Amino acid sequence: MRYGDFTPFDIVLLLQGLGVSLALFVSTTLIGLVIGTIWAVIRFYRVPVLTQIVTFVAELLKNSPVLVQLFLVFFGLPAFFKINVTPTEAAVITLSGNSAAFIYVIAVSAIESVGKDQLEAARVFGLTRWQILRRVIAPQAAAFAIGPLTGLLVNQLQVTSLISVIGVMDLTKVGNILNLRTLKPFIVWTAVGALYYLTAKLVAYAGGRFEKRLRAHTAWRGL
Amino acid sequence: MISVSGVRKSFGAATVLNGVDLEIRQGEVVSVLGSSGSGKSTLIRCINGLEKIDAGKITVDGFDVSKPRELSEARKRSGTVFQLFNLYPHMTAVQNIALAPVEVLKVPRRQAEDEARELLRSVGLSERAEAYPSQLSGGQRQRVGICRALAMKPSYLLLDEVTSALDPEMTSEVLSILAALAKTGTTMVFVTHEIEFARSISTRIAFLDKGQLIADLPTAEFFSDKGMALPRVAQFLSKMRKD
Repeated sequence: MRYGDFTPFDIVLLLQGLGVSLALFVSTTLIGLVIGTIWAVIRFYRVPVLTQIVTFVAELLKNSPVLVQLFLVFFGLPAFFKINVTPTEAAVITLSGNSAAFIYVIAVSAIESVGKDQLEAARVFGLTRWQILRRVIAPQAAAFAIGPLTGLLVNQLQVTSLISVIGVMDLTKVGNILNLRTLKPFIVWTAVGALYYLTAKLVAYAGGRFEKRLRAHTAWRGL
Repeated sequence: MISVSGVRKSFGAATVLNGVDLEIRQGEVVSVLGSSGSGKSTLIRCINGLEKIDAGKITVDGFDVSKPRELSEARKRSGTVFQLFNLYPHMTAVQNIALAPVEVLKVPRRQAEDEARELLRSVGLSERAEAYPSQLSGGQRQRVGICRALAMKPSYLLLDEVTSALDPEMTSEVLSILAALAKTGTTMVFVTHEIEFARSISTRIAFLDKGQLIADLPTAEFFSDKGMALPRVAQFLSKMRKD
């Protein structure tokens, strides 16, 4: 016997899938932010060897498809290093690495966007490199980066759908299951698409709010 | 004392400073004059360590600015005011002024901000203490820039064409503050194009031409026959006065 009709439980299923997608998105974004920022700081300090390694790894991650990276982690790690990787672990590793690479690029250009005059003004008063990074560069770089970062994150949210192919029960995977059961692709994928859309809008909205706060100092308040 | 001896500096093929000797003692106000490209700003940037010198030696109270260890000590003794203000745009006027005292001198934030407000009051900006640089006029920004340098209680104030980006009205509001500072005995190295002002506040005038110090005279002598005897100085002064 086949259940070809939608049931109320399908909504729970969709929300569960959304939950998995969101959890992966948020966790890999946070990991990516930490790693990408550390990479950018390594570059800021021009740490020998490490800087070259970071640049090389980021280039690799940026210039190959996420799906290929995912397969490499999911199938390659067990094959070459005899490590067992669950689909979720593979998803976290791949998406974190990918986000880190793009966040690194944004962070580097954000740091470089801060004018040389700012560094000089801080240097002549005897601030250390770390103090300059923390108090002068970081706040200005963050205000610069938040726009591109929001754009990147909206995109990375959509990219999470790729992990469904290795069996992670995310929103797309749930959509796939519902589609195969009901054979009503138009309804299923519209619902799935709408959920992604709403989530993406939410990310963009949050980014916009945050940007306004970081750029408070450029707002004209009158003399 | 700031001591500059035999300093050379080139950018690629262009020699900007070609053997400059200059001594600035406590209490002096030394104006550095010269046409654009004569190396005036570079001289200031060498004294505060923003440019590395190729040869010669610069010391501030005995601390050699070419040695990283001593440079930080030298920098604690001199405060720089920039031509284009270089204020931190994400900080209010008070925060701009309090940053270095808090981070470098480890002054408690409260105290540093109180002192910053006091400085702002002394330059007539107490109303604008919480304003961001983008909300200030050019003259107000430069006054904040001067406060920021003074907040470090420097022995020497290095002023790099601080009025060049300002209109005449704003220039005069900044110059009146500098004149007041000069009266209180603040030691200043003043790179400028404001000849009349330099004449009124300086104890000494140094004249740079093509990277060389061709005159280093007490102000009165510089503007008398002695200065005019130097063709390059006479030419420069007559040009500037015509404008």
